[in-house]
Amino acid sequence: MSAALLWVLLPVLVGVALLFYRRSDDTPLYLALGLSFILTWIAWQFPIDVVLQLGSVSIEISPTLVFLGRNFTIAENQRLLLTFIYLAETFWLLGSFITRPGRWFPALSLIAVGLFMAALSVQPFLYAALFLAAAVLLWVPLLVPPGSQPGRGIRRALIFLLFSLPFILFTGWLLTGAEGSPGSVTLVLRAGLMLALGFSFLLALFPFHSWMPMLAEEAHPYVLGFLTFFLHSVSLLFLLSFVERYVWLRDNPAVFELLLTVGSLGVFLGGLWAAQQRHLGRLMAYTGMLATGGLLQAIGLGGAAGLPAFFALLLPQAWVLWALAACLGVLYRQAPSLQLAELGPALRRHPLLAFTSVTALLALAGLPLLGPFPAHLAIWQGVGRHSVGLLVLTLLGSLGLLAGGLRLLHAWLSAAPAALAPAAPAGPRRLRGDLANPYVWGFFLIWMVTLLGYGLLPSFLAPVGRLVLMFPQLFQ
Amino acid sequence: MNDFFGTLVVLLLLLTALYILVNQDWRWAIAALGLQYIWAFLLVIATWPAELAVVKLVTGWIAASVLGLTRLNLPEDPALPDSGVPSGRVFRLLAAGLVVLMTLGAAPRLADWSRAFGIYPSWGGLLLIGIGLMQIALRPGMFRSALGLLTLFSGFEILYAAVEASTLVTGLLTALNLGIALVSAYLLSAPSLEVQE
Repeated sequence: MSAALLWVLLPVLVGVALLFYRRSDDTPLYLALGLSFILTWIAWQFPIDVVLQLGSVSIEISPTLVFLGRNFTIAENQRLLLTFIYLAETFWLLGSFITRPGRWFPALSLIAVGLFMAALSVQPFLYAALFLAAAVLLWVPLLVPPGSQPGRGIRRALIFLLFSLPFILFTGWLLTGAEGSPGSVTLVLRAGLMLALGFSFLLALFPFHSWMPMLAEEAHPYVLGFLTFFLHSVSLLFLLSFVERYVWLRDNPAVFELLLTVGSLGVFLGGLWAAQQRHLGRLMAYTGMLATGGLLQAIGLGGAAGLPAFFALLLPQAWVLWALAACLGVLYRQAPSLQLAELGPALRRHPLLAFTSVTALLALAGLPLLGPFPAHLAIWQGVGRHSVGLLVLTLLGSLGLLAGGLRLLHAWLSAAPAALAPAAPAGPRRLRGDLANPYVWGFFLIWMVTLLGYGLLPSFLAPVGRLVLMFPQLFQ
Repeated sequence: MNDFFGTLVVLLLLLTALYILVNQDWRWAIAALGLQYIWAFLLVIATWPAELAVVKLVTGWIAASVLGLTRLNLPEDPALPDSGVPSGRVFRLLAAGLVVLMTLGAAPRLADWSRAFGIYPSWGGLLLIGIGLMQIALRPGMFRSALGLLTLFSGFEILYAAVEASTLVTGLLTALNLGIALVSAYLLSAPSLEVQE
């Protein structure tokens, strides 16, 4: 059995099969959750390319699958990443029990994760752009559910995200030429420009970010959170593959300077705009922009300093973004809109989720003692060594997000008391208040303990450091 | 591809792309899109075997049919007044003129710079990319955006065919074109679909 069959094809096939399930109960969610959990466990426990003897049965997960003349390879050094991706999918599926992002969510999320894994495993790796585009197209029915009017955000999102494809595919071709004649400055400049444009569209970097806040006003926050989290994480790994693969890219300090500058700009602008938002969806979108900027900064630090910081930030940030999207997803079901002015009753009714949302924003801003802080600190130190100006921009961005978090806290604390607040709408959208809901208590306690635990004891996630082995050339 | 035939194909490609950009009636726009895929196919077979290039033609026709059938099942828009300069036909034609000028300048240099691209695929590819971009930028609505995206990707595929002929990539680009058409069709009809929650 090949790894790609197990972690790419199987989830895609099961996802497609689940789309045909007609009854509106939770069976697809349970099936998707079960499969995702099993795939996480296999990725965690079973080495790739090693024959395992279980009694009389021998099992081997081979790394390569040949399909239409191209290879899909998942090597042993990618197994930890594989575990992380399927664990993340398991958590997103778990969160959908309370956020209810739509009946197609379990099936489409399985297919999307399969496509994201295909993007990470296809050889030559630059075809990944095609799988990412396919995943984006697949996600549209969840972003604009049947019966709703598509807004400008989805149209712009589609256009911008699909624009990235020609740039990235042509970059791959140009880079092959640049490899043959590394002395050609024109060729290198053209390839660099194409690469920068392609990833700017894909990662929604300034000035191509406008679809994110627009779509955040139109779509379910949990659905948008899933798409942007996976899309940006996989795209950043794809970017790392580019830098790892081409010598002239990883040996060129200007590339890292550019990444550092663009990342710092993302953190600054994301934070600045987050501070002004009165709509929680838009606030989440700008938070995502800041989070992506932070990860780009880590890559921009380069090599042995940047790569560990990148992975050290990626995991706690994923944990925080998931919780933020889940809390907003519940509030979205309970309130007429995510405008802070209209959210008061829902925030009062869900104090644990409100507290979690505020904590998530503060954690992403880099508040000490919380999960992402150790990685933020390492990045800030690295950025400061390169440029004090960029460090100031970074800190201003973090302060902006902090202000956004405090604005949410103010909206929550100044809302009408729960007893006076109108009850949540009746019918399927109704959900028990937090304090009477054991599942929310469980989510809240586990999330807070994990977040504080990692913030206080960052060595807890030390094994994650092994993820740098996926990029040995870059890590040197 | 001889000079006369190549020039003729590029001119026909330009005419159909301009027609899609300028005209108001969606039926004729879909018909022009179908024709546009024929001219694009003729440019692709300059570098690809015909049996592989025909995949792009058939895909394009299916995409155009999907969009056309969806539009057919939607209520007619009240006639949108063409508000004249600067957002009307003249403005769009002028914008397309700029694209043509840029293409006339850029295509020979592209063909010179890389031996992979012939001059006619370079003209055709750049024209479609530019006019597709204008379509997306200047025409509001999902239907027109879909036409623009399909035109843009058609131009990109003419160029990319010269550097990549892998079966997997052909398959994925086919899926992408169909995906754009299906997603656009879904978005066009989403407001009238039954809520199944």
